[in-house]
Amino acid sequence: MSDTHGHGHHVEEEEKPVAKARPIEPTEDSLDLPFEPMELKMGPSHPATHGTVRILLKLDGERIVHSEVEVGYLHRGFEKECESGLWYQAFPYTDRLNYVSPIINNVGYALACEKLFGIEAPERAQWLRVIASEVSRMSDHYTCLGACSLELGAFTAFLYAVEAREQLWDLHDALCGARVTTNYVRIGGLSMDVGRDFRELAKERLAAAGKLQQDLEDLLLSNPIFLDRMEGTGVLPKEKLIELGVTGPVLRAAGVPYDVRRAQPYLVYDRIDYDVPIGEAGDNLDRFLVRIEELKQSRRMIEQCVERMPEGPVDVDDPHVRLAGKGRVFERMEELIAQFKIVTEGPKPPVGEVYQAVEGGNGELGFYLVSDGTGRPVKCRPRSPSFSNTQALSPMIDGAMLADVIPTFDMINMIGGECDR
Amino acid sequence: MSDPTNDATEPADALVQPASPVLRDLLSRFAGRVLAVSEHRGDATAIVDRAALLEVGRHLRDDAACAFDMLLDVTAVDYLGRRPRFEVVYHLLSIDRNDRVRIKVPLEEEDLVIPSVVPIWAGADWLERETFDLYGVRFDGHPNLKRIYLYEEFEGHPLRKDYPKEKRQPLIGPGAVRRDPMNDDLTR
Amino acid sequence: MAARVVTVDRRSLRAKGGAFGARAFAKGLSVTWRHFSRNLMGWVRGTPTVATVMFPEEDVVKPAAFRGMPVLVQMDDGKERCVACGLCEWACPVDCISIDPAETPDPIERHPLRFDIDMGRCMYCGLCEEACPEEAIVMSDRVEISAFSRGGIVWNKEDLLVPQDQLARRLDWIRRSYDR
Ligand code: SF4
Ligand code: SF4
Repeated sequence: MSDTHGHGHHVEEEEKPVAKARPIEPTEDSLDLPFEPMELKMGPSHPATHGTVRILLKLDGERIVHSEVEVGYLHRGFEKECESGLWYQAFPYTDRLNYVSPIINNVGYALACEKLFGIEAPERAQWLRVIASEVSRMSDHYTCLGACSLELGAFTAFLYAVEAREQLWDLHDALCGARVTTNYVRIGGLSMDVGRDFRELAKERLAAAGKLQQDLEDLLLSNPIFLDRMEGTGVLPKEKLIELGVTGPVLRAAGVPYDVRRAQPYLVYDRIDYDVPIGEAGDNLDRFLVRIEELKQSRRMIEQCVERMPEGPVDVDDPHVRLAGKGRVFERMEELIAQFKIVTEGPKPPVGEVYQAVEGGNGELGFYLVSDGTGRPVKCRPRSPSFSNTQALSPMIDGAMLADVIPTFDMINMIGGECDR
Repeated sequence: MSDPTNDATEPADALVQPASPVLRDLLSRFAGRVLAVSEHRGDATAIVDRAALLEVGRHLRDDAACAFDMLLDVTAVDYLGRRPRFEVVYHLLSIDRNDRVRIKVPLEEEDLVIPSVVPIWAGADWLERETFDLYGVRFDGHPNLKRIYLYEEFEGHPLRKDYPKEKRQPLIGPGAVRRDPMNDDLTR
Repeated sequence: MAARVVTVDRRSLRAKGGAFGARAFAKGLSVTWRHFSRNLMGWVRGTPTVATVMFPEEDVVKPAAFRGMPVLVQMDDGKERCVACGLCEWACPVDCISIDPAETPDPIERHPLRFDIDMGRCMYCGLCEEACPEEAIVMSDRVEISAFSRGGIVWNKEDLLVPQDQLARRLDWIRRSYDR
């Protein structure tokens, strides 16, 4: 670990149980010096920020007097692309929103489309979607924790986290044939069913990931250097977080148990057992611990799902929405015609607009869709958690020490693809 | 659901009573200024006159029966070829009451200005900048209204329906030469 | 079945690290040492336990579901199976497929005179495979696309044709997984 100063920061609220405020008092000498804040430009590609973002800092010594965050380096026109394609053609693009938890985006978009169409995916597809979402969430959290430890100087912990993530991406691979660009979920179902060996594979990979996570915890959680840098840094009171639209682990770490899975259960989340972890001080350490606990809960959920998942079809039986199987297309004229219609015109939802939220890796991921009854969306708008969360970075680091930028930014876990759309 | 904005000129009381208590409250409290409500697929939606936006927003945040303390999203929709052409859309969430509401404000193309809700929900800051950037909606009273994703020299607002997807922007900065991508031998 | 809210335990962490973090230090060393010795033993015994492979000397085993580059299925008589219906061209979100259809001597069959895929734009999404009614375009396990110019990444029909016995595993997989 590098020799950086994690102590000394303004914490607004004194009554917080653990977050300790140790402000540095200006000494006689420091007041004599001519004062001119130094400007520091972090990014857009900075080794200690795992995201393409630029942070403009005004520094008084090591203290940040003013900060400004600039995003947009990864803006690829997601909405414009979606609006120019058919409804089903947006799925590959949704992978690229939050590219460390791609299936959650697939699921969110599919659920929003299904709400718009007024259909529901079959039972088995719903359980599989929960499994896939939780696998994705775990890979997201491992990336976040690993990148955070790397940027705080703990390279070994990063390797273990990334190896654990590889185990989960093997599960992605078994589900849909890709590790990152999954394109797994479809309107009204899934692109494909899983093989019979998935249950054993899932158990094996989850156990391997669990071991690596234990190592990660052993390396970091009692380490005083790590604790010094995480404890009491990046604190914002929860009222402020809510006002800024922050959701996900950052909000939960501040003690607000808002989780879309619990508040407005979708899929089969109301039928499985899990805990929603919350923190008490709302600092970076709590955010880290909340993610560690969520990883355990996700593992628990997947274990329940692979056991209880029923057999059956994974696609709605509706020739206006889903393609028929290849064998049927080969042999029957109606299916062939339906295939042509669905591919060229796309499924057509009724006129209307919907908003559907799911719990993404970093908070509430919502899709706002507007349809005019044709095969192309009028509007396909993701409400991305990273965008609102990154907005809170500036207030979190204003007045803190320069070294606190790194853990705070890491725990916000800004994902460029999702933030910049 | 009939097309929401086509009803925008009809008086609100022409509609049946909505199931959502928030919408009922809005209809009675802001009669004539809440132009229409709908509950398509269970999403409570109110179309609000621009002049009443701030008042409605404050009420939604502060009233204990509403308590919409989080602004999730601000965006716009371009219904090209229809009047009013634009609609600014707000998605609100009440964490304590576990409820959502969508507020829409129709805007004419010639008069694309709307009061900023930053004084009510601080989180609107970046969201409004984004809407300004991509649709050109001006948010009156926004503390720092400038482009957020695109660069200052960018011409036009790319999410408008009349902005072609293939449109090229002039290159900026030093060495701004466009090369032919397909015949560009990378070994040279 | 419900979700409970639990508070994470942060108060005991410092104590677990011991005085001056000595216990944390020892624990960290033991974790890294365990990994190191296990990997070393694996290397000595010739059964590697590390997560990485020495690509390109070693290759990874790709699952049947793996989606690499889209390729065209070549039938045993050397012709493509594609009938130039154009569905894959429609389905492709990034418009990277371009087809010039033509008639064949057989009056009821058509075939593509030209079939190009711009691999620089292709994102391996598999929607073309899903759309194709003939099982003529499938995702292979090829992944290497490097070329010396951007024009070189555009693959034409001859580059894309792969004999169908080489694609047997994938063709079998498509039949099974897309059948409902
Ligand atoms: S894999 Fe996707 S991007 Fe590539 S050619 Fe097929 S449809 Fe197009
Ligand atoms: S969809 Fe299949 S048959 Fe039709 S043009 Fe494409 S590859 Fe050929």
